[in-house]
Amino acid sequence: MAGGRTINVLNVAEKPSVAKAVASILSRNQGLRTRDGRSRYNRIFEFNYSINGQPCHMLVTSVTGHLMELEFEDRFRKWHSCDPADLYHVPDKLDIKRTLEEEARRCQWLVLWLDCDREGENIAFEVIEVCTAVNTHLTIRRAHFSALIDSEIHEAVQHLVEPNKWFSDAVDARQEIDLRIGASFTRFQTMLLRDAFVIDLTTDDRNLVLSYGPCQFPTLGFIVERYWEVQAHEPEEFWTINCSHKSDEGIATFSWMRGHLFDYTCAIIIYEMCVQEPTATVTKVRQQEKLKYPPHPLNTIELEKRASRYFRMSSEHTMKVAEDLYQAGFISYPRTETDCFSQRTDLHVIVQEQQRHPVWGSYAQRLLDTGTGLWRNPSNGGHDDKAHPPIHPTKLFSGETRFSQDHHRLYELVVRHFLACVSQPAVGAETNVEIDIAGELFSASGRVILAKNYLDVYRFESWGSSMIPAYVFGQQEGIGTDATMHDHIKKLLDRFYATKDSNTRFSPTNLGEALVMGYDDMGYQLWKPYLRAVMERDMKAVSEGTMRKAEVLTTSLQQMKACFLDARLNKVKLFGAMAVFFERSNQSGGDEQHAHGDFVRRCGHCQESDMVLRRNRDGNFMVGCLGYPQCRNAIWLPGSISEAVVTTNICNTCTPGPVYLIQFKFRQLEIPPNYNANHLGCIGGCDEILRQLIEICGTGSRMPARGRGSTASSINVQQSNSRLGEARHSACIYCQQMGHSSSDCPSQVSGSHSARHRRMNSQSGGESSVPCSTCGAPCILRTANTENNSGRKFYSCQSQNCNFFVWEDNLNNGTGGRSVQSARMNVSASDTSRSRVRGRGGRGGPHAATATFVSATGDPVSGRRCFVCGDPSHFANVCPNRGS
Amino acid sequence: MVHPAHSQIRSHLASKHLVATEAWLTAVLTTQRPTTPLPALKSTILFRLLASDFTKSLSVTSTSCFPPDVLDTSRQERLIHGPIPVQILDIDDIGHSKWSQIETIEAVERGETTKGREVIRTVVEEDSTDATTLSSGPFKLLLQDAKGTRVYAIEISPLPGVGLGTSIGAKLILKDVKVSRGVILMDSGTVLSLAGKIATWDKQWRADRKERLLRTVDSER
Repeated sequence: MAGGRTINVLNVAEKPSVAKAVASILSRNQGLRTRDGRSRYNRIFEFNYSINGQPCHMLVTSVTGHLMELEFEDRFRKWHSCDPADLYHVPDKLDIKRTLEEEARRCQWLVLWLDCDREGENIAFEVIEVCTAVNTHLTIRRAHFSALIDSEIHEAVQHLVEPNKWFSDAVDARQEIDLRIGASFTRFQTMLLRDAFVIDLTTDDRNLVLSYGPCQFPTLGFIVERYWEVQAHEPEEFWTINCSHKSDEGIATFSWMRGHLFDYTCAIIIYEMCVQEPTATVTKVRQQEKLKYPPHPLNTIELEKRASRYFRMSSEHTMKVAEDLYQAGFISYPRTETDCFSQRTDLHVIVQEQQRHPVWGSYAQRLLDTGTGLWRNPSNGGHDDKAHPPIHPTKLFSGETRFSQDHHRLYELVVRHFLACVSQPAVGAETNVEIDIAGELFSASGRVILAKNYLDVYRFESWGSSMIPAYVFGQQEGIGTDATMHDHIKKLLDRFYATKDSNTRFSPTNLGEALVMGYDDMGYQLWKPYLRAVMERDMKAVSEGTMRKAEVLTTSLQQMKACFLDARLNKVKLFGAMAVFFERSNQSGGDEQHAHGDFVRRCGHCQESDMVLRRNRDGNFMVGCLGYPQCRNAIWLPGSISEAVVTTNICNTCTPGPVYLIQFKFRQLEIPPNYNANHLGCIGGCDEILRQLIEICGTGSRMPARGRGSTASSINVQQSNSRLGEARHSACIYCQQMGHSSSDCPSQVSGSHSARHRRMNSQSGGESSVPCSTCGAPCILRTANTENNSGRKFYSCQSQNCNFFVWEDNLNNGTGGRSVQSARMNVSASDTSRSRVRGRGGRGGPHAATATFVSATGDPVSGRRCFVCGDPSHFANVCPNRGS
Repeated sequence: MVHPAHSQIRSHLASKHLVATEAWLTAVLTTQRPTTPLPALKSTILFRLLASDFTKSLSVTSTSCFPPDVLDTSRQERLIHGPIPVQILDIDDIGHSKWSQIETIEAVERGETTKGREVIRTVVEEDSTDATTLSSGPFKLLLQDAKGTRVYAIEISPLPGVGLGTSIGAKLILKDVKVSRGVILMDSGTVLSLAGKIATWDKQWRADRKERLLRTVDSER
């Protein structure tokens, strides 16, 4: 093979910095050329090299993490576009972000330098997929390396192996399961609960998502469970007896071997017995050598834990710092589960590298000096991910200025930890003494450290020594009275659970607690780690090749789907738990709370009800008609208002009066500087400043998909009563009026046949509503706003747990119903010129009460409808008009 | 008609430091067939006596009962020779907080036991008292003599057969016990357990135990 034709080798690393490091190590910085790739962050390094005697022209480039992203196809991505239960069987789509095709075309070999873990293996296969698509003749090789140091990299390139498909499959399976479970449960929870409760979080609750992560939720479970334990704990009094013995050699403190008693009388009687007894007798003296072992070699979790404990560094930050150190070649790959060194690793070389360090160099020298006997082969932690060795230093690092304090500290931890691992345990002599006073036993112990050994270098751990006097078996000491046995019965609070590190203690929020409680009530172990643990075990089986990916995917997803559907059936429990912590929000389906508001003016539209100032749940203000939902007249005010109060002043220009002025207070930072934050304004239409501010700031976003289905926010101050007045921008398409969007157009409601019909009904039969067929409660009359059913009215049950839905005109069969039907078809026919027609025409006929429209929460929800045709009887993903 | 074995039974019981009242003994013996062999009869009567309420079945004598001033809390220490037969009315685990006892009961209700820090789900077994016997105490007992005097007693050293598994109504013989501030100090040398049980009391006590603990915790709050 030697001396053959030079081949082009495409090398792909996971990050640009790794590519650079690999290239500079392999080329020894000689003949290294650099050029830009298509992405300016991922440069291409070129040099000549020879692999096993084969002359190669090396091209080293990089990706940035995953090339593909596992995502749902577009039509499943919108939350309301499908039933979340569907997320368990929709096909997923791989979206190619970048391409390596250009380079791959002219290469014969592809060498993968992705990080050597499951994730890296997975990315490797993405790269393979991309490259082989354009060049089927590529020879594919994988480089295995754990540190960006010369020996590792050269070793890796001379011992290229096959990529491991199993590893990649395991990642695929995990990603897919996580995505599906996370998405389905998140949507379920969010849609079920967000609108049903006043969830008072400091965050902007318009975007509140009650997310569920297959890993995150069990973690929350841990916290909540612990919190419950702490909450459930009742402090109780207990008593204990302590005794100390002072001699020339020191003080020994003896503790009562009964520990503590929860009965005062008993404790005081025993105390009295002890005080009466004149002597204490030594009943047992035990001396033994104790060893304190150095820690196991360092894996990722240990590194995070120790960095957190010693330096108060968060896990995330720790890993970032470790990553930096790794990329600079100072430590080995920091993501590893392995905590035992393989036989092959030459540990002495690693220690030798540290000999020159000013601080621990001398310790390293002592380690290597066989005369000291300090060396000990590291213990075996029992975990091996077969990919990377434990985290260890690779190169001496002393004071590179570009690194922060944290980099230095973490490097120091890695080095000291490693040096400790290969050191002898500390040796101490421990003495336990037991004494007997009136039959009650007390014990004390002391420790003398004989040899510190690894503790010399591992400054993070300490082993306290405490001197106690020497005792001889049978030795008797007189007991003084109060001098030594003064009031030792202490009243203490039971603090078993009161952890001392209160600053790092977690406690769950109400929301977290409610969710866990809800799922707990369902009898589901969702928040327990078992499910996750099973999944992780399966992943491991996939990566070892003992299970197939498809198998794991199917079983796992089936389980979770069953779980999901069951959770949905039991959602009442979740409601119940939420109700413990949160106030139930108004169920009527309106955006605004139907609380009493201050009277502003008489409604100019229905001329029946009052318009009042209200604040909806988003914190946005609006002036709405009390006649809602019959009258939908509303004026949406800017989202930048922090306070609004109706005053007693009356506007002089607006009619019909009186129109009361409102004192607004704007958030100064959210309005242009030339406007005053305090403004006495009128909503009657005369107030130019208010109109401008609405134009500039927009109205507060209104919760979409709750009863209205419209997200239109192009709203302006209503020009009162100027029906069909001058058409301005953002006017309603139906009535050309300002102040509302077309979906809210009041004239559209009253102008429609059905509304007129309803009004006729209500005149004859009063306001009697239709009772719900399931729960019997009076239904709410709502208006459909879609192209097909615009203005069409329907009844739906107020209860979220009920699935009653019926078109109003279906109830009033006969001429009224038919006229509506024909009117509706007329509208769609006349619409052809304006927009594409997706009307159902005569195809489906009216959808009646049997509609099986299901929301995320499993409820048929009347307020939601298909995005495509607007029919509330199905989701967009199954719309018959889709794509037509 | 006096049962032929009447006096033999009486002396048998007396050898166990139990002096039954004539009325109780006669009543019990009349229900026995005269043909029953003596050893069997002895066992039967002893068993019946241990299952009886001592305040009704034992005769009151000055030595077999607590002295009237036993509850005098000003006496720091005294010795009572006895032997005094007593029955257990209440058992309290003073080595554990009330709340941890409640938690233990709840864990058993859930079908869990713990081993160190590990939680073990137990298969439901017929005999469910296992978990409650794990506690090592010490225990505080409420004892009652034939006269009906109630005295608290604490375990100074662990007594075999005394624990949460001990039945209410179980009988003990106290001999040369120390009494300190009106509380009996029990150790293995001075207390003899005769076992026995008053089934109705025991059942009630066990049924109410959690409730009682909860009340205590609440009242101390």
